[in-house]
Amino acid sequence: MSDALTRFDEGLQLILAELERGAFQAATTEQELREANARFVGAQGSLTQLMKLMRELPGDARRPKGQAANEVRARIEQAFQGRLASLEAEALARDLAAPFDVTLPGRGVTPGRLHPITRVKHELLEIFESLGFEVVDGPEIDLHENCFDRLGFPPDHPATDMQDTFFVTHRDRGDDVTTLLRTHTSTMQIREMSRRPPPLAVVSAGAVYRRDDDATHSPMFHQIEGFLVDERVTMADLKGVLQRFLERLYGGEVEVRLRPSYFPFVEPGAEIDARRPGGSWMEIGGCGMIHPVVFEHVGYDPSQVSGFAFGMGIDRMAMVKFGVPNIKLLFENDVRFLGSF
Amino acid sequence: MRISHRWLRELLPGLELGPEEVAERLTSLGLEVEEIHAFVPPEKVVVAEVRGKAPHPSRDKLTVVRVFDGVEEIEVVCGASNVPAPGGKVLFARVGARLPAGAGEVLEIGERSLGGVLSRGMICAEDELGLGDDHEGIFVFPAQADVAPGTSLADALPVLDHALEISLTPNRPDCLGHLGVARDLAASLSLPFSPPRPKARAVATDVLGTDAGGHLRLEWDGGEGGQADALDLSSFHVSLPDPARCPRYGAAFVLGVQDGPSPFWLRHRLHVLGHRSISALVDATNLVMLESGHPIHGFDLERLRGGRIEVRLAREGETMKTLDDVARTFTSDDLLICDGEGPVAVAGVMGGLESEMRASTRHVVIECAYFDPRSVRRTSRRLGLHTDASHRFERSVDPNDVPWVLARAATLMAEVGGGVAVREAIDVYPVPVERRRVDLGRARLNLLLGYEVPREVPARVLGALGCEIVEETDAALSVLAPTWRPDLAREADLIEEVGRVHGYDHIPTTVPAVRPAKAGTAPRIRFERALRITAASVGLHEAISYGFVASEDVGKLGAGAALSDLVRVQNPLGGRDAMRPTLLLGLASAASAALRHQATSAALFELGRVFRARVADRHAGWGETFHSDDAEDLALPREQSALALLLVGARPGWVGEAGDYDFYDAKGRVEAMVHALTGHHPDVEARATLDADAPYLHPKRRAAVTLGGHALGWIGELHPEVATKLELDGRRPVYAELDVAALFAASLALPAPKAAEPPRIPAVTRDVALLVDESLDAGELASTLRDATEGLAEEVSLFDVYTDAKHLPPGKKSLAFRIRYRDPSATLTDKRVDSAHGRAIAAAERQHGATAR
Repeated sequence: MSDALTRFDEGLQLILAELERGAFQAATTEQELREANARFVGAQGSLTQLMKLMRELPGDARRPKGQAANEVRARIEQAFQGRLASLEAEALARDLAAPFDVTLPGRGVTPGRLHPITRVKHELLEIFESLGFEVVDGPEIDLHENCFDRLGFPPDHPATDMQDTFFVTHRDRGDDVTTLLRTHTSTMQIREMSRRPPPLAVVSAGAVYRRDDDATHSPMFHQIEGFLVDERVTMADLKGVLQRFLERLYGGEVEVRLRPSYFPFVEPGAEIDARRPGGSWMEIGGCGMIHPVVFEHVGYDPSQVSGFAFGMGIDRMAMVKFGVPNIKLLFENDVRFLGSF
Repeated sequence: MRISHRWLRELLPGLELGPEEVAERLTSLGLEVEEIHAFVPPEKVVVAEVRGKAPHPSRDKLTVVRVFDGVEEIEVVCGASNVPAPGGKVLFARVGARLPAGAGEVLEIGERSLGGVLSRGMICAEDELGLGDDHEGIFVFPAQADVAPGTSLADALPVLDHALEISLTPNRPDCLGHLGVARDLAASLSLPFSPPRPKARAVATDVLGTDAGGHLRLEWDGGEGGQADALDLSSFHVSLPDPARCPRYGAAFVLGVQDGPSPFWLRHRLHVLGHRSISALVDATNLVMLESGHPIHGFDLERLRGGRIEVRLAREGETMKTLDDVARTFTSDDLLICDGEGPVAVAGVMGGLESEMRASTRHVVIECAYFDPRSVRRTSRRLGLHTDASHRFERSVDPNDVPWVLARAATLMAEVGGGVAVREAIDVYPVPVERRRVDLGRARLNLLLGYEVPREVPARVLGALGCEIVEETDAALSVLAPTWRPDLAREADLIEEVGRVHGYDHIPTTVPAVRPAKAGTAPRIRFERALRITAASVGLHEAISYGFVASEDVGKLGAGAALSDLVRVQNPLGGRDAMRPTLLLGLASAASAALRHQATSAALFELGRVFRARVADRHAGWGETFHSDDAEDLALPREQSALALLLVGARPGWVGEAGDYDFYDAKGRVEAMVHALTGHHPDVEARATLDADAPYLHPKRRAAVTLGGHALGWIGELHPEVATKLELDGRRPVYAELDVAALFAASLALPAPKAAEPPRIPAVTRDVALLVDESLDAGELASTLRDATEGLAEEVSLFDVYTDAKHLPPGKKSLAFRIRYRDPSATLTDKRVDSAHGRAIAAAERQHGATAR
């Protein structure tokens, strides 16, 4: 019996002695420290083995010896935690002192960019939506009727020279059918109004085509068209909507000037000029009160409704906004250009 | 169209505005002045009197001239041969004068020695002073000119002027002449205006017979009693067999002319207006056109065969040489002016060479007619002959100004051509064009303009523009619109006139209560906007290409149903003769240019329309987006929105992480975009239909993209031959194209993903590397693994592909998967995981002959 007691006591002393000798101080890494700790309290550890002797101890000795063993366990734990803390502190100090090259290139995403025309287009559409307009779209290939006749272009009239047209042909069930590339987004007036009754507050943006290719013209470009039709729409309303729109676009006060002009589908017709305080007049686009002949062609009674329409070139706005020197750059899709905004 | 400021001041004596102010006012009237050309005579140029002249002592062609410039006598050397005798007056540039030398350059006159004679100044020709094109000799004042030596050029001659370049809209033919512009300006400034009354110098007695076709007595002031040559015009006759094409034809006569150079004022006016001076008679016809806007034509009377004029349609294939010396062939839709034997002019377009006026012309017939604008336009287009005359006739001239124009032209020709005008003219006008009656309601006027227009304004404005007010009440006006304003046809036109002349500045600014549509912007359109943003967010730059391409380039893409049935451009520019059936060509050209410009890579997308002929039984999966249900729209070809992306070159990686974009870069982006927009992952799998849809893809390295069974499009490496043809050879570019409408439809058809509580019970991961045949798709193996775990595998992800032949049996590859196991309802025990993992490996071994490594 006493043999077990002796071995137990000796065992504890041995453990304490090892602790005294700095069993944990020798560990220089957390791994070594944990291994050292396991030599005491792991499954095969010395203290764990010693505790197996408990059963062999005399009954009245078990309680005090148990206490003693727990005290040793606590000292091991304390020594372990102490060393762990200092190892962590050392590691942190090393980490904080280690050299690091911040000049290596950033590793990352190369975000794509929306085309300048798209960016301006989205901005315009969102502003008009915020003013209560609805966005629609339509085909780029359309009928002569929708592009010209129903908009009041007289046949064989020089007004059509303003918009030199590309004609297209396709085979349909054995026949050649000729249609055209829309020369303006005003086709949307006919398309939308023929389909539903007023009131309408609509904008539409998209590609249009004119047979014109020189330093300042691209055969494809982009327009935004808007129109409002209701019982008593006035030209003052037109001015007001344009001003609201331009103020939101440019963020600040904008003066709007209407200058008489001619588009067959509006009467009165006007050019839109705008300027910011202290700035000079910029040409923004064309506008006017929807011509009664247009209303007649879509089945509205021109004595019962009135409305305005306006159209603007998106490409020009993008060129101004992003300082694009030449319209051709917009369609060359040079990656150096596309990525530069 | 150029307008002379000086001429406007002559027409409107009350006009006090300078050129800039006039330009501003015209612009505010809708006559947009784009540019002002100043014709300001140089200073230090004065009238000088020749006091003596002698040949140069040593130079053959030079003359030494002594002139008196009002201050002193000066000796100058002159190279011209027309130095007048002493007493003659010339224009003299003093030393220090700065003369225009063309192209914005200035020539400063200094003293210089010519062959030993000191020349102090210069005697000038018109072109040296910027007064005209004439360099025939120095400018010499007519003998009767009353100008004192020393008078400045600006005071001696009417040369100070400004030409206003107006960009005229096609609805205003009246402003293709100075009278129309003056009338608009007068209306705007409340100045009185009426066309000046012609004045005649000498007038012949009437010479026409009773059967001329229609008689007209020309109205002008003064000049009775001139003597005409003995000339029998009694049988001269005009007939109009086609009054619909030519409703009116007037002819006036000027007899006994002698053509020569125009007087200075006429030459200079034409110079300011951008016209070259030809001769007095021709210049006179041009001036009358520039004044009235009504083109006229002068025939040599003795070259009109048979003493008659007939305005008729050409016979098919009939020919005539026009005065530009080109033989023209006509169709039966072309209107000709003919004499007794054949055509002498193309109506409203250009005169004939044979009958034109020339130096020997003794008598002139002046034509002033009204032709059907559409007829002139068709002929002018057919002949490719756009002239000052056709430009005006096709916009419509005033049919009722013929008497004034004839009187003006006859008197002016007589004045500058030295003949006598005949008082009686021919005027054939079977059905007069009446003025149109148009009503204007004040309520509508105020409604459209958005303000209360003062009561007196409409009548004042419309009256000043030439409308006759036939009725005016508190509610409305009724007017007769002048025939020089074909654009005034209905109420809205009058509203514009009142608004325009009263001033658009009177229109207030109001913000209307917009009644928004119930549905607002269609979800499809918002979807398209989001799609672009998503495409950019996965690292693609947006390109925008032309909608048309060269069909030759489409041919490079291989043969497939999707690339036939092209929509052709009838009148292409730059060889782009077909509407694009795919977005590939635009992106490929951008990518190839990028690599040419030494970019290491290109990662691009485009969202745009693609076009094909309508073929009922094909492309069924593609959404019809932009067309209505109207039968009419069936005439249009198919037009769909497509989204395409193209990747080529070095994938941007970190230092040392080399690699080119490949199929999986495109696939990853397509998956990311589809997931971002629909909440669902698409299926990407090999499919044979791609032969027809996308023949330009590599037959193995390509896949169809579907979502919930909806075909969306395809992803693939470009076929190596196609890549070569598109100048992207050797770079294995990858391309994807999706139908936007199909993607949108699929997003609607699939249930929106529902949020779920993230699992809190931990997962267990196990890895397995499997040795399999090279040809086995990883996707198939992953499915086998997943299926065998009976739902316990939450995720099966490939994390390594090992193909190094040196370390593997021949024909084999190693695929390593990480399988994440989780049971959301209970913590997994090792035993359950081991069992599931074992089943997965066993299934792989059984079904694919795989070996766990």
